[in-house]
Amino acid sequence: MAFPFYWMLATSFKSPQEALQAEPVWVPERMKPMNWLKAARLGDSPLFGGLGPGRSVALFFPGPEAKPPKALVPRSPGAFFDPVADGTRVEVARGEGGWWVRLTNTGEAGFRRVPLVVLWPKGVPLEPPLPPDARRSQGEYWRLEWVNAVPGALGYVFHNYLEAWDAAPWGRYFFVSFFTASVQVAVGLFLAALAAFALARIPFPGKEAVFVLVLATMMVPGEVLLIPNYVLLARLGWLDTFYALIVPWLASVFGIFLLRQFYLSLPQDLFDAARIDGAGYLTQLFRIALPLSIPGLVSYGTFTFLGAYNALLWPLIVTQSPEMRTVQLGLLAFVSEAGSDYGALMAASAFVIAPVVLGYFVAQRQFIQGIARTGLK
Amino acid sequence: MRTYPLHWVLGVGVLLALGLYAQRLGFLPAWGAWSLWAGYLLLALWGLLWGGWRAVPLVLGLLAPLFPPLAFLGPLGAALSLGRTLPEKAQAAFYGWALVWPALALLLVWQVFPTLYAFYLSLFDRVNFLRPAAFAGLQNYRILLEDPLFWRALGNTFWYVVFTVPTGLLLATFVAILLNTQVAFLGLYRTLFFLPYITALTAAAAVWRWIYHPEFGFLNWLLHTPGLDWLNTPTGVFALLLRPLGVELQGFLAGPSLAFVAVMAMSVWHFLGYQVVILLAGLQAIPKEYYEAAELDGASFFQKHRLITWPLLSPTTFFLFTLGLIGAFQVFTQVYVLTPTGGVLQDTLTLAFYLYNKGFRDSDFSYASAIAMVTFLVILVLTLVQRRLLEKRVNYEI
Repeated sequence: MAFPFYWMLATSFKSPQEALQAEPVWVPERMKPMNWLKAARLGDSPLFGGLGPGRSVALFFPGPEAKPPKALVPRSPGAFFDPVADGTRVEVARGEGGWWVRLTNTGEAGFRRVPLVVLWPKGVPLEPPLPPDARRSQGEYWRLEWVNAVPGALGYVFHNYLEAWDAAPWGRYFFVSFFTASVQVAVGLFLAALAAFALARIPFPGKEAVFVLVLATMMVPGEVLLIPNYVLLARLGWLDTFYALIVPWLASVFGIFLLRQFYLSLPQDLFDAARIDGAGYLTQLFRIALPLSIPGLVSYGTFTFLGAYNALLWPLIVTQSPEMRTVQLGLLAFVSEAGSDYGALMAASAFVIAPVVLGYFVAQRQFIQGIARTGLK
Repeated sequence: MRTYPLHWVLGVGVLLALGLYAQRLGFLPAWGAWSLWAGYLLLALWGLLWGGWRAVPLVLGLLAPLFPPLAFLGPLGAALSLGRTLPEKAQAAFYGWALVWPALALLLVWQVFPTLYAFYLSLFDRVNFLRPAAFAGLQNYRILLEDPLFWRALGNTFWYVVFTVPTGLLLATFVAILLNTQVAFLGLYRTLFFLPYITALTAAAAVWRWIYHPEFGFLNWLLHTPGLDWLNTPTGVFALLLRPLGVELQGFLAGPSLAFVAVMAMSVWHFLGYQVVILLAGLQAIPKEYYEAAELDGASFFQKHRLITWPLLSPTTFFLFTLGLIGAFQVFTQVYVLTPTGGVLQDTLTLAFYLYNKGFRDSDFSYASAIAMVTFLVILVLTLVQRRLLEKRVNYEI
């Protein structure tokens, strides 16, 4: 059950060469604590790395004097102007028992990433200061590639996460998702509580008819509503707005049912006593019924939040612009953009599910009970 | 004189507000909204005669054509100003309706009306709002019944139910029974099974797509089947299994394609946790005494579960079965992420996917609506049949 999660996390820490192996790599280099220490020595800050203007970093490769390695900062392919490659001076110098590769930032701005390629003569044992992200054969040499020679510990471990995060406006996606889900939960909860209270505790003419209507709407499968609701939103001019994501799902039959069940299970005496003390219906609802039905509210809230956060089809239909994408749509777009960069793709998947999983670990009991309660009739 | 039915004004007020919006959007002719307005006017006049100055806020509702929500706020204001002068029964009626209306109005607008509107749309020829559509009667349904892709989608849904629902239920019951026997680290196991369910389907499907990768996927390494392209193999699994025996199966009998089975495996994995949690709750509701009595009588593990657990758990199983059945008709996300084009030869097409393709890729809203209506009908019939046939065997008493 947990294997796909492990595989997702493991891949999210892999370099592309590690990810694309026929034989699976169980523990990628970036997950080994020894390498974290090595990475912490590279770069200005031990955690976040980087190379400020005028600063330099030296990497030591033990090896004999007879065969000198070569080093260069590769230009990003297709870029017309590459400040990192142009602004970094690379020197290879002989030190005691090995070679020093020294990178110096000669530019005006600091660099977060400095890629490095070292051509290491074949036949010489290799003991690099940090395991290379890729190793290919190039004539007489091994071509060793690092995506970042100044990573710092976190920058090294979470390289794929940073790459994935920078590749798309995830902050905005998360905002859209959280805003949509929270408003749906808050307003939906309020409306469902009102209706459920009336259906459970207020004798009013036409109650049975309302209840039957609510029951009947439960029978309608979601996909019947896709087209007509889309048309309705289009006529309202609400497509590609928060209204389209939120409003159609505010009234929830499921929530009304769940809360009604809760209110019915509360003893009637409670409400009679309140009535004798002069409490109106609204007072009864907000002072007695709501506080006592918190488990039901949590259950509904969990379910609705999960549904809203994890939804794909509805946001896919009603939004077009990148500003209105939810995280799931962002991930969907990323799946097709990332191509074979599975490390970044898995990293993106990991941080998309992270909020829900974290929420689960914080409130495990409420989560499980909340879901379990949806099965009670 | 009888009590004044304030809740009627409220009801007419809400309908008036909705009607005014509908008229603005062109769903309702002007006379419809105006007759509602006239109805409101009559009731408001009656209210003024009955309640005097306290009922004056009702007049606000008459301004609804300027700002529709006023038709709801007017009666609300009147109720507040009338307060306790209203008899008890009228208060109950008013507040009952006042609390129900917000949710009810939303349900009417976003669920009841759309269901009818979908049917209405399905009667036209290629509605896409670029040009006026011609009325076509049941033409769309006639085409639909001869549409091979629709039948394929329906067949896939059938296989989806046949494969995932029993597998999922059996696995989940097994796991739930194991977890219910005072196992150590219950919380850990429960978390393990539950995590997939709270994981977003999109992310989960992305991970599984990577696991199914033909060259570097984990599954191919595990099974020693390098290069097997799980998600792009349209051959049916029965055909694949029986081919070595020399039996060639074609069409529907070939079974769901390998790609679709891969999608189903992922779905079972995803929903298992939910089923386990629900079943575990059901198991814990069964009194321990039954098992103790059975043990005294010398019942074996298997007997206990067949004769006590299975019948007493049947309401939960039935609930999950119904959910699985309905869920099967709405499978979209995992298919869309795993096989974005609907698979080779459309072999992973599901009803929801076909509807999406027709409506939002081909912009044929009326045909998509026809698919939706037929799906609705099928679900309705299945639920009824299932109630008649299966629910008789469900034991609701513990």
